[in-house]
Amino acid sequence: MNKNRLAFLILLAGMLTQEAFAGEGIRLHARAGYSVGATSPIGVPDGVSGIDAFRLTPSFAVGLDATYGLEGRWAVAVGLRYERKAMDADISAQSYHMELRKGTDAIEGVFTGHVSQQVGLTMLSVPIYALWQASPKWHLKAGPYLSLLLTKDFSGTASDGYLRQGGPTGPKITIGDTPDTWATYDFSDEMRSLQMGITLGVDWQALPRLALSLDLGIGLTGIFPSSFSTVEQPLYPLYGTVGVCYNIL
Amino acid sequence: MNNNIITINRGCAIVVSALCLLLGSCSKEEKLNTECDMLSAWVEGEEYEQYFYRTADMRVENISSTTTEVVFTVRSMSELPAALPVYFTLTDGAIVSPASGSLQDFTAGPVTYTVTSEDKSNHRQYTVLFRQHDTVATPTYTYSFEGVDSTDDGIMGNVYHVFYEQTAGGERNYIWASGNLGVSLVHTEWMPADFPTRSVADGYQGKGVCLSTQDAGALGAMMGKPIAAGNLFIGTFDLEQVVVDPLKSTVFGTPTTQEPVSLSGYYKYQPGETFTNASGETLAGRTDEASVYAVFFRNQNEAGEPVVLYGDDVLTSPYVVKKAVVASLPPTDEWTRFEVSFEGGSADAELLASLGYSMTIVFSSSKNGDTFEGAIGSTLYIDEVTVTYTNE
Repeated sequence: MNKNRLAFLILLAGMLTQEAFAGEGIRLHARAGYSVGATSPIGVPDGVSGIDAFRLTPSFAVGLDATYGLEGRWAVAVGLRYERKAMDADISAQSYHMELRKGTDAIEGVFTGHVSQQVGLTMLSVPIYALWQASPKWHLKAGPYLSLLLTKDFSGTASDGYLRQGGPTGPKITIGDTPDTWATYDFSDEMRSLQMGITLGVDWQALPRLALSLDLGIGLTGIFPSSFSTVEQPLYPLYGTVGVCYNIL
Repeated sequence: MNNNIITINRGCAIVVSALCLLLGSCSKEEKLNTECDMLSAWVEGEEYEQYFYRTADMRVENISSTTTEVVFTVRSMSELPAALPVYFTLTDGAIVSPASGSLQDFTAGPVTYTVTSEDKSNHRQYTVLFRQHDTVATPTYTYSFEGVDSTDDGIMGNVYHVFYEQTAGGERNYIWASGNLGVSLVHTEWMPADFPTRSVADGYQGKGVCLSTQDAGALGAMMGKPIAAGNLFIGTFDLEQVVVDPLKSTVFGTPTTQEPVSLSGYYKYQPGETFTNASGETLAGRTDEASVYAVFFRNQNEAGEPVVLYGDDVLTSPYVVKKAVVASLPPTDEWTRFEVSFEGGSADAELLASLGYSMTIVFSSSKNGDTFEGAIGSTLYIDEVTVTYTNE
């Protein structure tokens, strides 16, 4: 049996066995999951010479989805999620553009040293996605989402290095490694309140009413508006969620 | 964590980046250095020692990131050979033109060197000059504070005053330093009158100096430095240490071949209303005081290594030979004379002749401003400060 033939048989089997979603009407699922991910630039930005540590930070998503069956293997769904997306990373920076700010005072320049970055966001998200039943147990999902941020934290410390005001030829200020002598930054208030992106995922029907799910949320909007220039590279939330999905009705 | 090195080009897929972050270890191709500093400069060769007072004077170490002028002090400019090799250490990867160690003629004036960063994107120009030590022939020297430059920080649009003395050869010698550079870090488009240390038109005679203690702003408070006292001193201000160890940012003294006897001058002073500590808390019952003092000290140790005094040991270092501390400066709105004698030991004549001693004079609008205690609004005016020397 060659590979093409095998593929054809699997496809045929799928078509024969599935009327899947058709005629199911609206079904309601509760979802809960644990998320792991990062708020990351595309590629490694100039100025980041290494990532020294990346700590898993409690992130989760809970919510409800309403699924409406269409013809054949297709269904559409809309959900409401309460999510937390967080990260905690230690970065080695080399001439990394940044701004230290408190109130109206600011020192802007490039930093070489250690950056400890925290990102913590809680949000209400509305995903809209299409489901496609690949087999009785496997459902593939894809679609856009929109998130309204409820709380925002983008802050950190710069330590054990030096800041050069204005740029690489500017005045040099040593930054220490104790709370008295390191520098903190906080751009939480600069963050966007709305984010959008796409989710890709798969559900595996483990039990008649219970599925296990794996989802990847890819932010398409940077977490800062483009008018905010202090963080030079756009940062996108990228989170994977492992979860369960329970069919309520 | 795995130690795989994932080489990533800009613009690669989001997912790769996410994976990279999740794996917790990744790095780009080694980034080329963007900095281009001259870190130290020296003249090498025993045959050149005769032109200097001490071998230590053949080296200029720890060139500040805010300096682009490197000065070697020599015995005599007229005896200096027309070709001297000056060597440099630079930021890693940077190059200098003319080359380090190349023979240059410094007798005709400063020589300009250009340092270029490893990635070729940045340049800094440094002027290297040789200067004959100014030996004061008069029994007294009066600092009148008439020599004032307005310096633009070139970054934040701040302009502040710096004070200089005129050398016998008519050059400007920037022996005076202040904390203005530190203050300009956190402000934008401040003019000279906004700074804690500034020149004023109505001194005791001609121009004078006004020092006032200011609110250091939110960023200063965040770093445990809620106030900035106006200060002026002979020495240099090392911005690099201002956050980590602020007492090390005031580097005191300039070499002298004369032994001081007394310090006098004119002042006006009014303390600010509310005395606060480094945490910004009000200390009831405390009144701010101004401080004026001068210190004469040995500038090298037994091994011939340079000694500098900082904010934390300028009055207490074992290298202090004698000092003149004005005991009190009662508040007054009239120009009032102060005079105080130097007390302590005396100088060794031979060491004195070979520039082995330095002197500093220090003025501050808040006596404990170095530890960020004082009252915002305290204002000290200073003018016509005279040092009397032993030689007649």
